[in-house]
Amino acid sequence: MNDVGTVLTDTAIETDGLGKRYKRTWALQDCALHLPAGRIAALVGPNGAGKTTLLHMAVGLLRPDAGSVRIFGKDPYSNAEVLAEIGFVAQETPLYRDFTAQELVTLGGKLNRTWDAALARERLSGLGIAPNLPVGKLSGGQRAQVALALALAKRPRLLLLDEPIAALDPLARHEFMQTLMGAVAETGTTVLLSSHMLADLERACDYLILLQTAHVQLSGSVEDLLETHRTLVGPRTDSEQVPGVAEVIRGSHTDRQSTLLVRTNGPITDPAWIEHEVTLEDLVLAYLAKADTRATRTAWDVKA
Amino acid sequence: MIWLTWRQHRKQVLYTAIGLVALGAVMLPTGLSMHHVFNDSGLAACLSKLGTSQVISGNADTCDDQFGQFSRQFSSMGFLAILFLLLPMLVGVFFGAPLVAREVEQGTHRFVWTQTVSRRRWAVAKFGLIAAVTLVFSTIYSLAMDWWSGPLMANSGRMGPLIFDFEGIAPIGYTLFAVALGIFAGTLWKKVLPAMVATLVGFIVVRVLIETLARPRYMSPLTASLPVDSSNQFNGDSGAWIYGNGVVNGAGKLVLPNSSIGCGSNGNIAVSGAVPDNVDPCGGLVSQGLGPGPFFNSTRYQPAGRFWEFQGIETGIFLALAAILIYFAIRRLSRIG
Repeated sequence: MNDVGTVLTDTAIETDGLGKRYKRTWALQDCALHLPAGRIAALVGPNGAGKTTLLHMAVGLLRPDAGSVRIFGKDPYSNAEVLAEIGFVAQETPLYRDFTAQELVTLGGKLNRTWDAALARERLSGLGIAPNLPVGKLSGGQRAQVALALALAKRPRLLLLDEPIAALDPLARHEFMQTLMGAVAETGTTVLLSSHMLADLERACDYLILLQTAHVQLSGSVEDLLETHRTLVGPRTDSEQVPGVAEVIRGSHTDRQSTLLVRTNGPITDPAWIEHEVTLEDLVLAYLAKADTRATRTAWDVKA
Repeated sequence: MIWLTWRQHRKQVLYTAIGLVALGAVMLPTGLSMHHVFNDSGLAACLSKLGTSQVISGNADTCDDQFGQFSRQFSSMGFLAILFLLLPMLVGVFFGAPLVAREVEQGTHRFVWTQTVSRRRWAVAKFGLIAAVTLVFSTIYSLAMDWWSGPLMANSGRMGPLIFDFEGIAPIGYTLFAVALGIFAGTLWKKVLPAMVATLVGFIVVRVLIETLARPRYMSPLTASLPVDSSNQFNGDSGAWIYGNGVVNGAGKLVLPNSSIGCGSNGNIAVSGAVPDNVDPCGGLVSQGLGPGPFFNSTRYQPAGRFWEFQGIETGIFLALAAILIYFAIRRLSRIG
């Protein structure tokens, strides 16, 4: 019996053909995602790729124009039952700026069914945040910490964060990620975090979702992705046919040498190629560049 | 939600209360002085002697002297009254317009709508509480205006344009409408300043349209016809809302618009309005081709007795508009992300 229950709730976010349109442009299209519970997932992509739109549909702020999104199997749109399970920190961490942190903790207690006010107070006092100062007067880093503490006080099963560290200085960024990772490690909460800070994400995340031009370009566990991607350096080649390579994601060539970032489907046996492991940053940049070239070619009507 | 609404709007409520007190500080002395003069000058006594019947004796005292004195002394009060008329609009501009617009402008709707409260419940609680507070404030305002404008309306009555607007229950309708308009404008523009401007413009346009086009047609007016040689006259101080008067001939045709003629049995001739110079007002109307006789002074009017019917219709219209606006505001909320 228990096994069935576990299987059913094993998926935190599931989307199917999900799309959202603003006027005539699709902000997100044909999005098929599957985020297993317990992951700490990075949502990556350039500005305007649809990250915020995806998060807003996941938290039920927006209604999809196509397809569906399910949070632990339920439709989140304006659904209080789902809202109770999600902690959300919106872009630019909006809070009532004339409220004090203390008042915001009180407010959270009035607007939520489960609310761990003691936990929130403990976190905020640990961070040295003034309880009786309007949060508008706090620093950006402190405000982000308040927003995070409020989201965590709901004891959510899923935590969604929309570029929470984008506007922070490196120290505040580091502290924020530290608080986040500490809290998540204690509770086993699933996290989906959108950000541009690839280096910060590499340290924290074990799952990657890459969005570009309204589509999902790549998604999977970081471990698998790093396992199946390699940088190959070898003699200049234009054929891009190497045994063990499923796909060349990005190639750069000098007169005598080619460097390829590839997805592998077997061992690279050709001794002409030297294999290097890839970093998450390499991987993301390669996929972004690939989709970018394709999009530009389409826009200019040039054949690949 | 009640805690949140109070915490968010307590300053506005405080400022409004201060505003009402300041308003009281203006209304109390001017109102007292008007009531004082109204009674002491004999105007009150004269009017009560005159009565409210629609047709009165031709030589009755229509209190013109006292009215002249009263209106000379308080000529600036009409201006003040018009300022008071704008107060409901201000409630809409400062309470209604920022309600949704400020949340969306500052992004806090994404905070509050992602707590465990559906946005419909959020809307019902906030709109409901704001409407309740508005109801309290506008009732106080309308009762105060009733008292203050008492002497001013003695002349023109409670039915006439402008004075009607701050009598009875109509101000409550206007205020709730203004708030609903502000809320709706906020869901449309999603920025505080444009929503405020739209509320201001929208309120004035709707009020003027209803006042000038709709209200005169709520009920068809009555017509009082008195022969030009009658010893009686139409009582202009009965509190009726007079649309117009004119001289009508025996065939029922209006021959001298906006005028009246009095041909008393004692030979006195009284003429008012636009009677042309070449018209002999009593003897020669037929010979001048205005016939056939007999001629009547005809007045079209809404009697003062219809005051509450008009109030009911007017308030009903504005409450219905407010309900429609709130319905659309809640519908629009579901599209804000």
